[in-house]
Amino acid sequence: MQAQSFLRTVTAGVLVIGLGVTLAFASADDKIKARQAEMKNNGKAIGALVAIMKGEQPYDAAVVKASIDSMAAGDAASAKVGAWDADSAKGETVETYAKPEIWAEGSDVGTKYKAWVDARNAVAATTDEASFKAAFPVLGESCKGCHEKFRRPKEN
Amino acid sequence: MLGLSIFWIASSPRVLGAAAIPTHVADVANGKLLYNAGGCLSCHKPRPDLANADKALPSGGFPLKTPIGILYPPNITPDSATGIGDWSDLEFVNAIQRGISKGGQHLIPAFPYTSYAAMPVTDVLDIKAYLMTLPPVVSATSASDIPLPFILRRGIGLWKWAGLDTTPWRPDPAQSANWNRGSYLVNGPGHCNECHTPRNLIMARNNSRFLMGGPHPEGSGKVPSLHGLIDRKRYKDKADLVLAFQNGEVFGYDHMSAGGMGQVQSNIAKLPQQDVEAIAEYILSLK
Repeated sequence: MQAQSFLRTVTAGVLVIGLGVTLAFASADDKIKARQAEMKNNGKAIGALVAIMKGEQPYDAAVVKASIDSMAAGDAASAKVGAWDADSAKGETVETYAKPEIWAEGSDVGTKYKAWVDARNAVAATTDEASFKAAFPVLGESCKGCHEKFRRPKEN
Repeated sequence: MLGLSIFWIASSPRVLGAAAIPTHVADVANGKLLYNAGGCLSCHKPRPDLANADKALPSGGFPLKTPIGILYPPNITPDSATGIGDWSDLEFVNAIQRGISKGGQHLIPAFPYTSYAAMPVTDVLDIKAYLMTLPPVVSATSASDIPLPFILRRGIGLWKWAGLDTTPWRPDPAQSANWNRGSYLVNGPGHCNECHTPRNLIMARNNSRFLMGGPHPEGSGKVPSLHGLIDRKRYKDKADLVLAFQNGEVFGYDHMSAGGMGQVQSNIAKLPQQDVEAIAEYILSLK
């Protein structure tokens, strides 16, 4: 029993160290790629919800839940690698469209992030088309909240 | 001495005289529509430190980044001391359409009088009539952070002499009434040109590259070419573009909110359906 417990402790220790090493070695490029992947994933999830919003698809609680869960999972994955940390403001080789204002003194990115999480939860709590159509615009506006202020336009 | 005289004459403020103001019964509803089409609030929004500010009123003072420094757009609510309460119609029209302040100084062209110059004077008077219906807000705004000595202020006059086109907007008889309405809203009050058309060496709009995009005026990133967006079929048809203008990210049009366009989209969303359709029709005709 004791040996097993010891083995578990060692394994857990190795996992923790491994995670720490991963964290320490996630470069700015990796972080930028991670948040770009998160945004791409968000876009896909939002697409499914917009189809319901526009009336192209019927309200389906399972689709709504899956979409919101997918956004929450992407959010958690990004947090794990520090994808939104200040040290990722500029990449070595990967171009970012995130403005440095995100990390500037007095930035309200935290408030805007919270608005997004709250809006996500409100959409997840909807039970029918009417409650969904009331909750979803707040989520869309919360996306705009950051994009408007913190994302520079991409194309010429 | 001759050079100085020419500079002095070329750079002098060219004010409109009283004869430019027609007899006109103001249409407040039209003024409100044009106020939204122009997105006046986006730049004239309340300063961040004004206590209990009503964010829906254009009491001004919010810092505006420009290529030459930070400006604080003024209070345009009808307060007499700090706003435009005691401005005459002529003073208002000269500011909006010729870029000349009540005190007779040249205004910095971050204020898009270069587009508003194309509007009929009656539309400008309607905007003033609408502004006069707003509750007055007492809020003095700071002077700009741009050190412009008198002689350089005067230099704006020289710039206007070369870069301010005061030709009124004219409809194209070959196009539909809807297209022409869109053209007017885009090129007059909407002042889309000010960001979506690049500027030349003297910072005047380069009209040979009309709505073809360029560097972002706030200095970060690029403003897209509208021709490019249409070519790439970003919006599949008029209905699609109308939905994008009216809903932005709420309908998943995430490109509608970057680089300041989100505020523009919110303003366009306040326009009547028919006007949004007119704007979409006009923009989709740009190939």
